[in-house]
Amino acid sequence: MAKRAALYGFLALILALLCLVPAFASDYVVSLFLDLLMWIALTESWIILSGYTGYISLGHSAFFGLGAYFMAMTWTHIPYALGVLSGGLVCLAFAFAIGFPFLRVRGPYFVILTLGLSEFTKYLFINLEIKLGGTVGRILMMTPGLETLYYSVLIVGTGATITAYFVKNSRFGIGLFSIKEEEDAANSLGINTSIYKWLAFGISAFFPGMVGAILALRRSYIDPYTVFSPAVSFQVIVMAFLGGFEDVEGALLGAVVLTLVSEALWAQYPYYYMIILGAIVIFIVKFMPLGVLHPIKQRLLKEPQ
Amino acid sequence: MKDMKMLEARNISKRFGGLMALEDVNISVAQGEIVGLIGANGAGKTTLFNVISGTYAPTSGRILFKGREITGMRPHEICRRGLVRTFQVVKPFRNMTVLRNVMAGKLFGKDRVKNLEYAREEALKILEFVGLAQKAHVLARGLGLADHKRLELARSLAADPELLLLDEALAGLTPTETVEAMEIVRKIHEKLQITILMVEHVMKAVTGLCSRIVVLHYGRKIAEGTPKEIAENPEVVEAYLGESIEA
Repeated sequence: MAKRAALYGFLALILALLCLVPAFASDYVVSLFLDLLMWIALTESWIILSGYTGYISLGHSAFFGLGAYFMAMTWTHIPYALGVLSGGLVCLAFAFAIGFPFLRVRGPYFVILTLGLSEFTKYLFINLEIKLGGTVGRILMMTPGLETLYYSVLIVGTGATITAYFVKNSRFGIGLFSIKEEEDAANSLGINTSIYKWLAFGISAFFPGMVGAILALRRSYIDPYTVFSPAVSFQVIVMAFLGGFEDVEGALLGAVVLTLVSEALWAQYPYYYMIILGAIVIFIVKFMPLGVLHPIKQRLLKEPQ
Repeated sequence: MKDMKMLEARNISKRFGGLMALEDVNISVAQGEIVGLIGANGAGKTTLFNVISGTYAPTSGRILFKGREITGMRPHEICRRGLVRTFQVVKPFRNMTVLRNVMAGKLFGKDRVKNLEYAREEALKILEFVGLAQKAHVLARGLGLADHKRLELARSLAADPELLLLDEALAGLTPTETVEAMEIVRKIHEKLQITILMVEHVMKAVTGLCSRIVVLHYGRKIAEGTPKEIAENPEVVEAYLGESIEA
């Protein structure tokens, strides 16, 4: 119990420090932290569906892009905070709308289906934008300052992390993990598997929608190729994989490590960046399939019985 | 109320493409009975279980549980009404502890317990009941077959069944383990007052536990009666290709 209290204290301290970053750090550092928090939000929300139920989704970029486009289309018409929240809600609604048929397929078929979803939304927006404006990109003017964007991502990232934590340790979470382990047995044991997966899909889509909305303003120029890029989904998976897939600490660690490593490599070796990153990922997948954290976690975070 | 029909499956047929897996099968289980369901491999026993528990919808026929129609309901709805099944090939939640497995039954079965701490206590009691308490905190994937079978029983019991469908709960066990498992089944029936319908190949267990036996052969019911009547039924003996049924 004392250990747990110490952990909460430590997390509160980190959160407090994160709040202070814009006050002291340079714009470069703030941007880096903004990036970090963005990936944390994306990865933590991703594990709620994919880490907990085992339905590996490549759909995160679809929700990210949708949030970004929602913001781009409503910017200057509605207030910033409302735009961000609505970006998330639109994705939640979209996930709920497509959830039932999507979640009927399992395993690799689900992966491919969600990849298809990202591509579909990408080309939908390319065509839509050409129809509407004759060109595909959108420039956003009068965007909020770096500090505002930073705090927004901090809130969304913290929200996603806390949600992932509470879902995991809840009755709902036990249901989701049962689905991952043996879906038929879970269903026969009284779990409404369709509804559970559907809810997890919706929650999981809500956060990337908000992140996308914020990031649209951060970049101030968006087009479907970048915001719907499958790279977003892949990066999220790699991060979750690095940390070890099915828990909050793992996703957090994966997001932090990969963002920092990417940043370092990108700055030092811009040409070899992807190659080095790929090699690291292959190494981890091969030798630490349960994540870098796993061996440490086995020792430290064993559930107190 | 002793004669109340717990389960009534009327004229059940199930077709998979050109294969008639079940043909006009009638089976009923009264409250408090242990009924055995036997038949050679491919006779349709597991298919019948799948139809009753909602995994498959029957091609035709009706299923009544405690007098209410459950035909076409989804497995979780049927479970919540108090009809719970086990699986022939055990399906534990492998990467969860034994305790969590059983907690899941408590949380989502008939009781739909909302409090995790309460579910945990109840789950421990059930583990005690099936003799698996000392392994409560082991991951399910680390168990041997006999313990897997116990876990499968414990998890189903946690869902608080009134009728339990046991699909070969004893298959693959050593003679000693079989005796122990039979004892658990008997305890489930006597102490917990749970009605049981069991598919079983171990004839000693069927004749030892069941008051009534139903025989399926190529998807049809060919006989029904006490263990003694079944053992003497020529059609049954022939269906088993002359094997002695006492074996």
